[in-house]
Formats: sequence, C-alpha cells, structure tokens
Amino acid sequence: MIDTSTIEGIIRILFVGIIITAAYIISTRNLLSVVSVYAVQSLTLVFIALALYSLEGSLVLLAIAIITFFSKVLIIPYFITTIQERIRIKRDIEFHFLNPTTSLLISMVLMLVIYMVLSRIMQGTPARESLFFFGAVLGISLMLMGMMVTFSRKRVITKALGFLSMENGVLLFGLFVTELPFIIEFLIIIDLIILVLLTTILSVGIDSTLEDYHQRLHRFHLWEEPGEDS
Amino acid sequence: MIIELFLLAIITLLAGTIVPLLAVSVNRRYIRTISLCCPIFASLFLGALSLVVLFSGETSGFTLYQPITEFSFSFVIDRLASFFLLIIAIVSACVALYFSEYVEHMDGSSRRNILCGFTSLFILAMVLVVSSANSFCFFLFWELMAASSFFLVTFEYTHDETKKAGLFYFFMTQLSSLFVLLGIIMLYLESGSFAIAPIHGASTLPITAAFLVLFIGFSIKAGIIPFHKWLPYAHPESPSPISALMSGVMLKIAIYGLIRFLLDVFTPDLWWGALILAAGITSAVLGVIYALKEHDIKGMLAYSSIENIGIIFTGIGLWVIFSASNLPLLATISLLGALFHSLNHALFKSLLFLTSGSVVHATHTRDIEHMGGLAHRMPYTSALFFIGAVSISALPPLNGFASEFLIFTAFFTSVAFVSPLFKVLLFICLALFALASTLSAACFVKAFGSIFLALPRSPQSEVAKEVPRAMLIGPGILAAACILLGVCAFQIFGIVGFNVPLPDMFLISLLLLGMGVLVYVVLYVTASREVRVSETWGCGSRSQQASSEYTGHGFSEPIDIIFSAIYRTRTKNERVFFDLKNCIFREGTGEIHLLKVFEEYLYNPISQLFMQVATKVSRFQNGCLDTYLLYVFVTVIALIIFLGWFA
Repeated sequence: MIDTSTIEGIIRILFVGIIITAAYIISTRNLLSVVSVYAVQSLTLVFIALALYSLEGSLVLLAIAIITFFSKVLIIPYFITTIQERIRIKRDIEFHFLNPTTSLLISMVLMLVIYMVLSRIMQGTPARESLFFFGAVLGISLMLMGMMVTFSRKRVITKALGFLSMENGVLLFGLFVTELPFIIEFLIIIDLIILVLLTTILSVGIDSTLEDYHQRLHRFHLWEEPGEDS
Repeated sequence: MIIELFLLAIITLLAGTIVPLLAVSVNRRYIRTISLCCPIFASLFLGALSLVVLFSGETSGFTLYQPITEFSFSFVIDRLASFFLLIIAIVSACVALYFSEYVEHMDGSSRRNILCGFTSLFILAMVLVVSSANSFCFFLFWELMAASSFFLVTFEYTHDETKKAGLFYFFMTQLSSLFVLLGIIMLYLESGSFAIAPIHGASTLPITAAFLVLFIGFSIKAGIIPFHKWLPYAHPESPSPISALMSGVMLKIAIYGLIRFLLDVFTPDLWWGALILAAGITSAVLGVIYALKEHDIKGMLAYSSIENIGIIFTGIGLWVIFSASNLPLLATISLLGALFHSLNHALFKSLLFLTSGSVVHATHTRDIEHMGGLAHRMPYTSALFFIGAVSISALPPLNGFASEFLIFTAFFTSVAFVSPLFKVLLFICLALFALASTLSAACFVKAFGSIFLALPRSPQSEVAKEVPRAMLIGPGILAAACILLGVCAFQIFGIVGFNVPLPDMFLISLLLLGMGVLVYVVLYVTASREVRVSETWGCGSRSQQASSEYTGHGFSEPIDIIFSAIYRTRTKNERVFFDLKNCIFREGTGEIHLLKVFEEYLYNPISQLFMQVATKVSRFQNGCLDTYLLYVFVTVIALIIFLGWFA
C-alpha cells in the first residue's frame, strides 16, 4: 500500500495539472486542442477521484471515477471532436469582454481572492491546512474560470467547453468539500451529455429540418462529408 | 341592522359586478339594466344605514375574515364613514339612473356589459375603502378602486387620446397608491399594528414623514396642484357618468383618507395645517384660473374639481391649524365646512358632469365654442345645468354658498385669535379664497352663456334635441338635493347636532320666493296686454349671426390678460416685408400658444430624467447571452467576497 503522504503529494501534483489545463482552456485559440485538453483535465479528475478512493476507500468515489472516465474522457470529447472534424472552423479568435491574456490575469486574481475568502471562512478550523481546503479553492476557481470561458468566447463550441470545465470545477469541489450523492453526480453527467448533443445541433442551427441544415452548411462551406477534401 | 344593511349593499354590488361579466357576450339591454339596478338598490341600503348612523351616532363594526393574526378584513361604520357612504350612495344612485339610458347610446356592443360590471365594482371598492377598519384593508380596497377606475377610464381604448389619458391616469394613480402604501408601512413600523388608531406621543420624525407621505398620496388622488394633471386628461376621455362618479365621489375618498388619518391616527402640528392650507389655496386659485381658460366642457369641469378640492383642503387646513392652536369651535366650523363642501361638490359636480354628458351626447362635441342656443333645444338639461352652475358658483340660497360660507366664517372669526404671523397667512389665504370663489362664478357664467344662450354656433347645436327622460331623472334628483341642502342647511346641521353660524336660508328663500311671486303678480296685473311687433336691437348689425356672438374665448380674454403671468402664453409673430427697411408689409403669421406650465416645467423634465435612467438601465438588458453570463459571473464573485467579509 502507498502511504497517505505520498497520495496527498500525488493529489497536489494533480492539482497543478488541473490549473495548467484550466489556464490552457482559457487562453488557447486552437479549437482542436482545447477538446483534448478538456479530456486531459477530466482524466486528471479521474486520477484525483481514484487517489481519494485509495485514501478513504469509498465506493462512490470509485464509481465517480469510472463514470467520469467514460463520459468526460471518452464520450463527450468524441462527440465534440466529431463535430470539429466536420466544421471547417479550426480557430476561435473572437472574444467578448475579455481577451485570453486578461482572462488569465483575472483567473490568477480570482484564485487569490477565493483563497483569501475561504481561509477567512475556515479560520481556526483544522480543515484550513488540509488538502480539502486546496481542493475547495481549486474547485471554485475552476468553476469561475469555466464561467469566464462561457462569456468571453463567441463560438458556441468553446462556450460548451467552458461550461463542461465549470462542471469539472463543481465535481472537484464536491470531491473535496461536500459529499454529493452518487445519483446527483450521475444525473449531472447525463445532463452534460445531453448538453453536448444539443450544442452539436445548436452550433449548426436548429430552425429548420435536418436536410435544410445540411444544405445550409454546405452553402456556407461549413460542413464536409467524410472523405471530402478540406 | 346596520351590519345587515351593509352586507346587503355589498352583496348587491357584487351581483351588479358579476352578472354582466358572466353575460359578457350577450348584447342585451336587460343585462345592463339589471347590472345598473344593483348600485341603485345598494345605494338605498347604504343611504338608510348612513342616515341611521349619522342621526344616532352609534358605531358598528365586524370582522369578515381573518387570515392571520395581524391582519383581518374588518369594517367599521362610524359617523365619518357613514357621511362618506351617504355621498357614495346619493351620487351612485343618480349616476346609475342616468347611466342606464346613456349606456344604450354608446358604442361598443356587448363591451358595454363590462363597463356596467366595472361601474358596480368601482362603487363597491369605494364603499369598502370608506368602511375599512384597518390600514391594510384600506390599502387593498384603495388599489381595487384604482384598478377598476382605470378600466372605466380606458373604455374607449381604441382612441389615441384615451390611450394617453389612460396611461397618465394609471401612472398617477399607482404613484398615489405607492405613497399611501409607504405611509401605511411607516405607521405599521411605528405602532406595530395596522389598526387605524392614535399613535401616542409627539410628532417625531418618522410620524411626520408618514404624514407627509400619506399627504402626497391622498393629494395625488384628490388632484391637488401640482399632482393634478391626470384630471384634465382622464375626465374628458371617460364616459360622462364615470367622470361624474370619479369627480363626485372618488376624489372624496382621498379627502376621507386624509381626514381619517388626521383625525384618528396623528396629533397634527400647526405647520401641517399650514401646509394643507397652502396646498388647498394654491389648487383653488390655479384650478379655477385654468378652468376659465378651458374650452373643453369636461376639461373645464375637471379643472373646476381641482378648485373645489382646493376649497375642501383649505377647510381641512384651517381645522388642523385651529385644533393645534386650541380653538375647538373654529376647528369644528372649518371641518364641518370642509365636509359639507365635500357633499355639496359631489352633488353639483356630478350634476354638471351628467348634464354636460347630455349636451355632448346631443351636440357630438365637447368644445363649448361649437355649442350655443341649447336653452331652447334642451330646456330641462339647461335648467339642471343652471342649478349646478349656481351651486358651484356659491350663490345663495344653494348648497355651494352654505359650505363656502362656513369656511369664510372660520377665516373671518379666526383673525382675532391666532398669532400675528398666522394672521398674515390667513389674510392672504382669505383674499385668494375670495378670488377663487369670484372666478368660479365667472367661469360658470361663461360656461352657461356659451353652451346654452344665444344662437347655435354649429350645425350639431342647431339640430340638438332634449335627452330622453331617463337621462333627466338622475340629474333632477341631484339638482333637488342641491336646492334642499342649500335652503335647509341650517336646519340639517341642527338635526345632526351642530349649531353652526349659518343664516337660515329657508326663511331667506321663502322671502325671495315671495318677492318673486309678488313681482310677477304686480307685472301681470299692471302690464299692457297690447302686442307690439318690432325687431330686437342688434347693436347696429343688420342681422344677428352666430359668428358675431360673444364667444367663450372673448369672455375670458380680459382674465387671460390679467393672469397672463400664470397662463404663460407664448406669442409668435413672423412678418415678411417687401423692402429692406421693413416698411411695406408683404405677409406674416401669428401664433398664440398656451404654455402648459406644470407639464413643461415639472412633468416633462421628470419623465425625461426617468427616460434617461431607463435608457441606461435598459442597456443592461441587451439580449446577448454573454452579457447575462457576465452578470452571473460578477454576482458570484460579489457573493463570494461578501461571504468572506461578513462570514
């Protein structure tokens, strides 16, 4: 068995991974890589859940790790990648309110503010120095960073990824601070999958029949059939 | 018995509301007649119970429903409430009688059923406001009154002018409700209950603030200047019977609210009285000055209502001043003057609105410059309007004279008792009050002369016919009441237990009548029976034409000049000359604009300010998803920081 301090060390390293992926999602202009980074972020969460499972032995954590792996590492990225392969837009260069650099700077300030606020709230409690405190800080920060992506990007697909990143923040917060019932976690995952499906439809228009859709996408050179030259 | 009569009246009015609304698609006269019979029967019940309470002086109350401990639907009928119930009863009955025929001549097919239903609802709301035992109940029914009257004002909602008037009325009436609610909440915070009961102790800042807020709320509803602007918009656009109800009764409900709270809740300071007096006198003088300038018959009556409400406020102001100065006798005379004028104004203003409705119905115009010569064509209506005009001009022996005489008496007697500073104030107010009374007489001389005398000034007036008999009964009762209350004012006050310094107009009236009969008999006996045929002298003109008559504009021109500083007329002349030195005139235009002072200097700047703020606020709602997400983001951050700071 690995001892507790080693696992905590691993978790801290994984936290760094979460921060890096979140920063990448906020700042990148490349649409293709952002999905992969999201998958990596989700995989990091899976590892964190597994590490916590090895610490606490709760089966719920194991179940969360498994469904997160299948939904957020495999299924959702698959959907989005499929869409991206069809849509000719490969880069997201339109921003609202904040550009990537400002977003990054604000994210840093945000993390600091949340750290200060939470340490004020938890002042005098043993939890303040623990791993769970950092988990909470990171969870809320990730949530807010995801929210920043949702309003600062113009592309629907990037907004959806921001929202997914927000949900990762909620999951992280839930893993460390509260114990969300498994059924809630499960339902959130289902919601996310539906969201991605809907985004897939909305991002290419929903105000007409499917045939009209495809015609329109072809007309604007936004859609390419498999095998067609890009 | 009182409670049973009251409940019976409420049920009857409810039936009058529900029946036409259930049969809204049935365009049958009997539905509307049944609906309008309900207020008549309810008025009989209300009148009976009011007279019992007024003469016996006993107070009755009951709780209908108590959902929670702090609040109940409770009603109390004391002498003050019964007096206002009597006003509602008399006017409502007469208006309903008139309305039953008038409504059949209106456009709107089955939509008229709704009008009848809402008329009953409006009367019901006013009855419930007056009999409310607690302030919360008062406010609820106050709001019901405001809402139902809004629907009545906007009956002709397809007309642009009606839409504008309806919007204006809705805004002002809701502003009034807002202030009343604020006052009630402030009183609740101060006393801890919604009961309309005395607040003990001196007038502290919160109590004074509550009074001021309630005063503004009631002033807006009563049409006190500068909150008056809704009246000249709403009255001309409403059906005439509704104008009669609103001007005759609804304005009095605001008066009731002010008196009720001053009498039962506050211990007023001297300066409160001065404030009410100043507001009243300003409204009285400016109201009648604007009425003189108005040539829309209903607009003129609306301004005249502002003047009369000003007179009532003057009486209330004097009452508060004398109460605070420890002069109970003068205070009682002033309050009685204010209350009696409330009743009188309800009677003669309803009479004038109903008869003007008949005139408008016959001539299809509201402009008095297009009327004239109606005394021959509509003799009964002209006689009824004449009685209303004499009453409102405060000429003896009619009722307007009696109530204004009481207020004048309070003014004259008071100067010997109050401090020098207040003496100056009262002298100024007395002079202005006298001016208002005089101008009021001038205003109705103009109105009666322009509408009924001389030759018709339009083809419609030429062919105007007397209205059906059913449209004469209601105004007839009101006219009879005006005469009765004027002639027997002294006796009526004696019966209800007040010895007031009024001349016995009954004796004077008998003398006047005797003199009239005597003169007639003498002339009849001594006059020559010989018939002499000759042409009437026409001031040198060959033939009398309507266009050469003395018009309403002409009549009010000297007054326009005297009060030009108040009217603020804008004269614009543009002249073009043939030569460079401006000697040989080629052509030119001239325009005279009447500046709407309150609209241009008060209402418009405030509305523009609100529009600017609203435009800035509306930018927050730009329909962009990203912006809303940004708001959520900022809110979450603010909450987190707030938690960190205060947790």
